[in-house]
Amino acid sequence: MVLSRIIAVHSYKGGTGKTLLSVNLAATFVKHGKKVCLLDLDFRAPSLSTIFKIEKAEHWFNDYLNGTCEIDKALIDLSDGINNDGKLFVGLANPATEAIRDMSAKDRKWEMRALGRLLALRNSLLNDKGFDYLIFDTSPGLQYSSINAIVSADLVIVATTFDTSDVDGTRRMLRELYDLFEKKTEIVLNKVLYDVSSKFGKEEVQAKIKDVYQVPLLGIIPCFCDVSKAEGNIIFAQERLEHPFTKILDEMAHKIDNNKA
Amino acid sequence: MTKQEVLRKKSVQILEKIRESLEKLNERMEIMIELQKHGRRDVQPLPEAPLDVMTLLSMPDHLRKTAMTVCRLGRATADEVAQQTRRARAVESAYLNQLVIMGHLKKERKGRKAYFYVEKEDQG
Repeated sequence: MVLSRIIAVHSYKGGTGKTLLSVNLAATFVKHGKKVCLLDLDFRAPSLSTIFKIEKAEHWFNDYLNGTCEIDKALIDLSDGINNDGKLFVGLANPATEAIRDMSAKDRKWEMRALGRLLALRNSLLNDKGFDYLIFDTSPGLQYSSINAIVSADLVIVATTFDTSDVDGTRRMLRELYDLFEKKTEIVLNKVLYDVSSKFGKEEVQAKIKDVYQVPLLGIIPCFCDVSKAEGNIIFAQERLEHPFTKILDEMAHKIDNNKA
Repeated sequence: MTKQEVLRKKSVQILEKIRESLEKLNERMEIMIELQKHGRRDVQPLPEAPLDVMTLLSMPDHLRKTAMTVCRLGRATADEVAQQTRRARAVESAYLNQLVIMGHLKKERKGRKAYFYVEKEDQG
């Protein structure tokens, strides 16, 4: 059985919570004592640099994919202040407009080389540098960089909501993208509104998701006002250990770690 | 070296040559069978055809599996690919040769073994 050590977090539409999920999943693994590398592959709308408050980097993850630096130069060690054996490294997408423009104009040959470089991370980071997990935060839909990440991954986590167009698009992607690459895929349903007047309780939602997508469900994240109010400034898995959102992420990480995902 | 030993050595060399020729012939036959199976229009030789993910997506399933395995392994023989895909070596050999004809893979012979890989100069 292939262990899910390279994880791509993807979605059909934007705003489904990919980055929130990627960052908090990485932080959860670190909390569990794992050595994790979180990589921003959303080159059209980079966000990890803002979340981790890093304005300037000597090398960006773009540089590694461009072949102008090795992977160790493109990673930033954020392990300071972590109280256990866990380690967190990030590879950031360059948020400068010029860099975004440059990445949007890459041709097929470049994308092919980028795929080769992503595939090489299994050796350089997992085998040689002893990382336990690589997490790719991707851009939504059928973007080259996202499909490269999906092809390189062991597990694709698809963040989705109950939005009708998102459900339709996600179903199509399951059939026409993940299945074609024979990828292990799991669904995370985000922003779920449970309320007493709603016809759906937790069990009904779980059954509905399994019925609609025909793939395993990794977890359900209710719509937490606290998370929205934090405006992306708080990494809950790191800073709000008792929050229900953090507990849900703990469960997801355990499932993946025990290879149940 | 006795006359008998010289003769034996020569026989071994001749047999080796026959074996190599038979293998080459076998490969050509596999390509011809593939061409016939999928129709010539599918396998027009392309001088330059990057093996990017969109190309992989548009491939028929049987070829995508082979191509992805080579992408993952970097450089592989038909035997090594067959071990990963759990299909017969002869089948993989045919698919690999078809991918070479399509311009997606390169092939290099080293002794008796044929290695398939994504074009080196494109790997940057």
